[in-house]
Amino acid sequence: MQPLCCWHQEQIARHDCPNFRDGDDALLFDRKQRFLQRCLNCHLFIEDLRRLGPETGDLPKLFPFAIEELMTLRGETRTLQGRLDSLERQGSFLREVGQELQSSLDKDSVIAMALTAVTAGEGFDLNRAILLLVNRRSQSLNGYLAIGPRDHNEAGQIWQEIEQQKFSLRDMALRLREEKLSAERAKFKDLLEILSIPLQRTEHLFSQILDSRISTHVTDLAAEPGLDPEQVAALGVREMILVPLISKRRRIGLLLADNLINNRPLGQHDLQALETFAAPVAYAIERAELYERLELELERTTTANQRLKEQQLQILQMEKMALVGRVTADVAHSIRNPLTIIGGNARNLLKTMPQDHIQRTAIDSIVRESRRLEDALEEIILYSEARHPTLDNWDINQILHGVIAGVQDEISQAESSVQLDLASSLPLVRLDFKRTGHCLRSILTQLLQAAQPGSRVLITTRQQQDKIILTFSGSGLNPEQLPEPGHSTPNSNGKSTAIGLALCARILEGQNAAMQIQTDPEGAVLITLGMNLNKGENE
Amino acid sequence: MSRLLVVDDEQDICRLFAAELEDEGYQVETAGSAAAAADLLTSREFDLVVLDIQMPGESGLQTLQEIVRDKPDLPVILCTAYSCYKDDFSSWLADGYVVKSSDTSELKNEIARVLDKRRKSMKQ
Repeated sequence: MQPLCCWHQEQIARHDCPNFRDGDDALLFDRKQRFLQRCLNCHLFIEDLRRLGPETGDLPKLFPFAIEELMTLRGETRTLQGRLDSLERQGSFLREVGQELQSSLDKDSVIAMALTAVTAGEGFDLNRAILLLVNRRSQSLNGYLAIGPRDHNEAGQIWQEIEQQKFSLRDMALRLREEKLSAERAKFKDLLEILSIPLQRTEHLFSQILDSRISTHVTDLAAEPGLDPEQVAALGVREMILVPLISKRRRIGLLLADNLINNRPLGQHDLQALETFAAPVAYAIERAELYERLELELERTTTANQRLKEQQLQILQMEKMALVGRVTADVAHSIRNPLTIIGGNARNLLKTMPQDHIQRTAIDSIVRESRRLEDALEEIILYSEARHPTLDNWDINQILHGVIAGVQDEISQAESSVQLDLASSLPLVRLDFKRTGHCLRSILTQLLQAAQPGSRVLITTRQQQDKIILTFSGSGLNPEQLPEPGHSTPNSNGKSTAIGLALCARILEGQNAAMQIQTDPEGAVLITLGMNLNKGENE
Repeated sequence: MSRLLVVDDEQDICRLFAAELEDEGYQVETAGSAAAAADLLTSREFDLVVLDIQMPGESGLQTLQEIVRDKPDLPVILCTAYSCYKDDFSSWLADGYVVKSSDTSELKNEIARVLDKRRKSMKQ
């Protein structure tokens, strides 16, 4: 009887075996391998066995049992081989992730890598990963980041892109960190908010998992009493794995993962894999957070150190200035007393000296020069004090009224007049009253000294945006005695007794006020002061 | 005639102020130190004291505190080469503050003002 199967032939042609596949060419000439790989599965071979005669006893009846067992064992071997391959891939993948987690100190990079690993096909191959982190200060568990598609369309696009671009795990994590992090946060903003809970809610599933530190596979979220109904609705899946992230007994957060899109059932294998993965992730997140805090502290310390250095410099400067102030005061005392005696006695002599006395001119000059020296002394002291102004909010019009009241004698002597045109309701200006008053008085005194009888000095104030503009203007003044822009006192005629305008400009500049002087040969002058308003401080 | 006490360690200043103030019609006594001033203040009556601040031994500000404590109705004008003491709280106890100058008109005006104020308050 001719066998139906080709098992008895040493060599066969392709068409002899109904199970022949592409790539099986070697089997055409290898009877043993052909028998083991193809004939044992072939229905013709089973038929040939059945057709064997009684001379073979019961052996043909038992042979199919052996074949069935062999096939089962083969199947199991294949499954185990697949599992082994999968574990090997996972091991390799975990090594890569572990290296990345260990080397990164940036929190978002760590988290991007961890969540990418959970969702990547090469990784744990889950559809969606959600990370909640513990906030120790507010004692709450807050949604931090979720990644994955929200629907099938998006899933198709993402998976197609990954397939086309052949992204590695590291590429995907880097891309998530640098390009898609804020987009993913925005995409899952509502979900992350709904999932956030205060840790005091001890009855909540999340708190219970964190407290028990046991990873959980919830197979029916809707039946879970520890979850809020709106959280179940927002999650939109039936089953989910929840893994606590714990580092040295500290609760770092909670990792949730599910198969929202393909609904592949989650198993024990997924739970164990994520549980193993959670430990290095928790450690890496904590380390990154500590590093972040360390950096912040370092920045604070650096800033504080910088401030300390600046303050030390300031103190040094102030000590120097205090020394200058003390020296100036001592010099003032030493000079002022003799000047008072010389000038005072000379004045006293003049009182009783006849008008035509031969020495009168000489005594006059002693009086005048001692007065000039006293003024020069005052300038030195004022400049020394001006280095440390006492700032407060003042009404500039009020200061001007005080200045005018103090120069009535000078106005009479100059046979001139001063007219005021002051804007009402001006905001207060932050300045040193004493020094500003002294400068304004000096400016006015200089103008009065240049004034010819009958001339007039006009003083105006007005607000212009964030400045108070103050002007002194006069015409018909003696051009030779006009203040010279940028020229320090005394001016060319040597008769000025007021502090120099350059010095005034410098003192006022220290109080945020810029001074400009315009003169013309016809004897007109315009001195403009722009005083900056600091609204924050004045209001 | 008002009686004034000028206290200054510089004898020439004392002489100058005495001459100037006597010309104004005041009766003037001078003291070269805080201790000498204290003696005069216990032995004689004055209407006003012109007091220097920087003096050897006790300073004018200490003397001012003693006068305010012992003779609260006696006005004191601080007359000093330093303008900085104006910012010192202890100088605010004085009735007036004048920076020394060869032109004594400011001192004279201040004395007249303080005495006038005193007279008015005594009348009340």
